Amino acid sequence: MINFLEVYERAIKGPIMSEKDFDMKVFIPKLKNVVKTYGIQYDRETPVPSDDEATDHLYKAAVDFLSQVGVYCQNTNRVIQFTEEEILEAVREAPGKCFAGEGKEAGVFGMRKPDERKVPWFHVGSGIVTTSEEMATNKIENYASIAEVNSISIPALDSIRGVPVMAGSPAELYAAIRGVKIGREALRRAGRPGLPIMNLISTAAAAVTTIAASAPQFGLRPTDGWLCGAISEMKIDFGTMNKVAYLLNWGANIGAETSPILGGYCGGPAGTAVVSTAYILMGLLVQKGSYQLSFPIHFKYGCCTTRDVLWTVSASCQAASRNIPMPVIWLGYMAGGPNTKMYFYEAAAYLLCAVASGAPSVQTPHPAKAVKIDAFTPMECQFGVEMAKAAAQIHRPQANEMVIRLLEKYESQIEMAPSGSRYQDCYDVVSGKPGEDYVRLYDEVKAELVRMGIPLT
Amino acid sequence: MAIMEGDEDKAKEYAHEVLRSQMDPLKAVEQGLSKGMIVLGERFEKGEIFLPDLLIAADAFNSAVEILKPAMEAQKKQVAKAGKVLIGTVNGDVHGIGKNIVAVVLEANGFEVVDIGVDKPSLKFVEEAEKVKADVIGLSSLMTTTMPSQKEVIDILKEMNLRQKYLVIIGGGPVTKEWADKIGADGYAGSAFQAVEVIKKLLGQKGIAD
Repeated sequence: MINFLEVYERAIKGPIMSEKDFDMKVFIPKLKNVVKTYGIQYDRETPVPSDDEATDHLYKAAVDFLSQVGVYCQNTNRVIQFTEEEILEAVREAPGKCFAGEGKEAGVFGMRKPDERKVPWFHVGSGIVTTSEEMATNKIENYASIAEVNSISIPALDSIRGVPVMAGSPAELYAAIRGVKIGREALRRAGRPGLPIMNLISTAAAAVTTIAASAPQFGLRPTDGWLCGAISEMKIDFGTMNKVAYLLNWGANIGAETSPILGGYCGGPAGTAVVSTAYILMGLLVQKGSYQLSFPIHFKYGCCTTRDVLWTVSASCQAASRNIPMPVIWLGYMAGGPNTKMYFYEAAAYLLCAVASGAPSVQTPHPAKAVKIDAFTPMECQFGVEMAKAAAQIHRPQANEMVIRLLEKYESQIEMAPSGSRYQDCYDVVSGKPGEDYVRLYDEVKAELVRMGIPLT
Repeated sequence: MAIMEGDEDKAKEYAHEVLRSQMDPLKAVEQGLSKGMIVLGERFEKGEIFLPDLLIAADAFNSAVEILKPAMEAQKKQVAKAGKVLIGTVNGDVHGIGKNIVAVVLEANGFEVVDIGVDKPSLKFVEEAEKVKADVIGLSSLMTTTMPSQKEVIDILKEMNLRQKYLVIIGGGPVTKEWADKIGADGYAGSAFQAVEVIKKLLGQKGIAD
């Protein structure tokens, strides 16, 4: 596989063009052409398809697409190009597993196939902003206290000593270091200090902040995981490339983070599925990921639970799971917030869709589109794990039927979804225990899902 | 039809036909080409078409207007604009798609849009707004940690005694109406179409809209 310095060289020597020309003259027409050539088609009646041949065709389309389009470097205005042979070589040589965690928490995050009964790697938590250090500590301790959990995400902090965090500022650096220390300390409090934190650095927009807060004296280890994000669509910048260069030199786990936008430059679900799959190839080639975090999202609703996004997730998850040895964490943003029935219906649909489609890992579905501050609680983590375990027992055709029934419950409410409660509104912030109302709602929804045939225990 | 199909060649051909047949070029833009863009904008809002269709149509529209521009200038006519909007993504934030969607939908609805790109320092918004004589400053932010930069632009406008000169509209994934109220923005837009509605309403109140 070509190494990262070679990627950098291509970023400074590849064909030069304006970003607009890349979008309008390369990305859009070539994607349209690939969708047509390979006959990629969205079927709204089948949010969880089961056609392996179509799935493999989608993978081939993604390889072709990446070889035709490449990746645009915003700093140099050049295109990093790869031949089809280089892409296939990267696929052949990919290890298909990521070693994460330390001591008794050390684990191998590997692959799953569609319909495989093996449970996915359970990644819980979220980088959603939390406004107090005490809440952050309580939450992380709670996430880590779920026995099945394999890795966690820790929240971002929005201020440090009352000073708001501004991207790329000294306040961001202080908050990022503080956030990392809180994360590791909370894991110690839970008795699981070796658990890997895999959304590093959550309080860092700037590369300099990521690199600074990663210094080992603050508690991080190469067996944690750092997110290095692509820019939508099929773009990268030196900020991300600098993080990759640093982490590769350290031998740390890199999570290639990608979020294709349905309705944006990708167009509809067929194009978004091609790009979603191509991003996993890009993760291997450009970010040199040892794992991937993928969350296709709807441009208008800002969530991942519309029917067309669910199909996109399922199709691209199957294409990747069957053909690309890259362990992917599939993350969904829900429209509904914590302490609402809608959240649980959406989360159930998303997890059925991803797990039955062969997701190597699923992350706790994020409530309230992941933009409402403090709107994330350990209850969603608990549900995510229980639901993912249940979904691993369900094959694609059955999952498809269940997802359709769940869509009937929430689909019409997506536009005006309830944003739900904040942590401090439905939890006791001192004890870290959920309020009675939330427990009751949780039990009610769970019973309803069991009646639908979902084997929740 | 050329605009609806996003066919740049047909759009150019239509423009040349307008000139050959000595039709009123302004009328051709306002009652022909622009209407096509508005219909496409509505279809985009309903989810019937996607951003690429709208962008391709916008390119076709602009190509046709470029051909008609000299004739309009010769007749001392210009297409009435709903207002001039300077738009960009704030400091530290490299997310551009949402901002691009807002820009193209505003253009489709008759606004003149100056897009200064992503990750722009707060002062740059003010300097550019002054330079291009904007009516509105649109500030996009997709990260909670870049939202303070929206406030910073407003604070700079106040410090430079320019706050009353511009309408400031904010938007982006984590941005809310409450945040807009808190930082003293004039408006909040949760989507590209809300942006059109909000800006039209505010410009109307200010007496700028046509």
